[in-house]
Amino acid sequence: MFGLVLLFSVVVYLLSIFLLMAIKFKWGMRLAGSISLVVISGMMIVFLYEAWPALEQYGFGLLTTAGWDPPREEYGLLPAIIGTLITSAVAIAIAVPLAISIAVTINEMLPRSLRTIFASLVDLIAAMPTVIFGLWGLFVLGPALADFINTAVGEYVAAPLSLLTASILLAIMITPYAAAVIREGYALVPKVVEEAIYSVGATKLEAVFIKLKYVKNYIFGGLFLALGRAMGETVAVAMVIGGNYSRLPQSLLESGITLSSLIALQFPNAAAYAYMIPVLFTAALMVAVLGLVINGVAIYILYKTQI
Amino acid sequence: MRKQLNTVGLALFAVLAFLAVLPLFHIIIDVYTKGISAIVELGGLSFLFDIPPTPYDNKGGVGPLLVGTLYMTFLGAVLGVLLGFPLGVYIGEFRKEFFANFSRGGVNILVEFPTITVGLFVYALFSISLVDINPMLEGISNALASVAGGWVKHFIGGLSQFNAYAGALALAIIMIPYVALFTASAYASIEQNTREAAYAIAGREYRAVFIVLRKAVSRAVLAAVLLGTAKIAGETAPLLFTAFGNVYYAPFTEATGAIPLWIWYAAQTPYEVQIASAYGAAAVLLTIVLAIFFAARLRQ
Repeated sequence: MFGLVLLFSVVVYLLSIFLLMAIKFKWGMRLAGSISLVVISGMMIVFLYEAWPALEQYGFGLLTTAGWDPPREEYGLLPAIIGTLITSAVAIAIAVPLAISIAVTINEMLPRSLRTIFASLVDLIAAMPTVIFGLWGLFVLGPALADFINTAVGEYVAAPLSLLTASILLAIMITPYAAAVIREGYALVPKVVEEAIYSVGATKLEAVFIKLKYVKNYIFGGLFLALGRAMGETVAVAMVIGGNYSRLPQSLLESGITLSSLIALQFPNAAAYAYMIPVLFTAALMVAVLGLVINGVAIYILYKTQI
Repeated sequence: MRKQLNTVGLALFAVLAFLAVLPLFHIIIDVYTKGISAIVELGGLSFLFDIPPTPYDNKGGVGPLLVGTLYMTFLGAVLGVLLGFPLGVYIGEFRKEFFANFSRGGVNILVEFPTITVGLFVYALFSISLVDINPMLEGISNALASVAGGWVKHFIGGLSQFNAYAGALALAIIMIPYVALFTASAYASIEQNTREAAYAIAGREYRAVFIVLRKAVSRAVLAAVLLGTAKIAGETAPLLFTAFGNVYYAPFTEATGAIPLWIWYAAQTPYEVQIASAYGAAAVLLTIVLAIFFAARLRQ
């Protein structure tokens, strides 16, 4: 019954967009313009509905306890939440200086003809399938990193699949995004300001720092966009994080789990247990809320700057 | 002193930028070197048609996965353009309206939204509604099959929980904001003179916006469509819970394979031959994505 109602309302919504366009054009366009809002709010409602059994059963404790014992129906999302925060924080810490360097190098040092090539290279990375990053992380980055740390320390301390591998892989993936936003802002520094900076005798490096301060809103905006990416990234992280569901990670060199990789790795066997699907939907609800808040902040910062 | 500091500082920026880009080149080179030798080993050209190898095989390919990827990407792109284009036009052409701000905010959030949530969303929608929709679909399928023949049942019929159409819907939801954002910026960049001319000659408003003005931005919109298609061709997370993956040529109403899903699965198995096939599949996928990407770049 519910399915028919759903199907009916979707069909009516889509038909009325195209019908209204023929009759009352502006209202048809407004209805089309609300697609994004409909999808986002639909997602929130569906996640809340699907997560409700778990929230009712475990309450708020689901988010503040560690543990993953499906046969006893004991779940806790704390390791995943902490894993998400750690990996994205480390990834951002690595990515921001790199992204700023890319933006500065493109705008200050490369000749104009190379600029477009470099820029479309950055766009290309944005279109690269994330699963290929995961493949590379699993077979190249992870072993190389573990070897490097183990020879540097002199004893066996690091495994290929760890929170650190995931963080570095994330940093590689999100750097181009942040760089694209920062570069866009950097190119918008008015010519007058640039001339003023050089006229007081600044060297190029000093000029770069002044300009970076001038576009700091773009840097923050890019940082938040990249943070949103890092927190939501699923497949690449799930391939290199190791999948440690129940224990709180004690260091970066241990295996861990993040909210979205927990969903990806545990979903195939979720149907066998009574509460696992609702618990995973609770994780999805958290991912969605995090995505909404962080991207909202990013977009607010960037909007404010543009106007 | 300041001179030296200047040189050192700028060199540091350049080195860091180089370090940031280096892994990306390495990924492409790594995928192609390992991927091409894997393809040659696993059967050369027949890699594109064979079913994936089991752990005991020494030949295999990505046939069903390639079909699934192309089918779902095509459907997703069509649906994504149908809905994303008007949305983008609204944001770009009517950007001074109050509601357009909300709409644009929504699109901007949706484009960065974690893709796994889209997959779960579609999974939930299908698991709620399939019971009611399936009898209807089976009726349609039987009616069509009696007219056109049995092959219709490979495309239309009672859907199982995991099917190609769920995958296509998830991909479409990811595609919509991409198309919308590019379309919006293209429409916003139309000069006022052109706009007035379009409204003057077109008569009805929808003709002005969708037919006359579209011609002015058709290149940018086509590039946007291609970029969005390249993006969804490589998506994995939304397909995990919607298409689920399959290693056989199966009807699209059942679980359907896709190349990214096979890479994700095979890379995590302990079998050499499947890992090799994952690399081969990655090379194929990267070729598809790069081809669409460069087609989009040449259009601009």
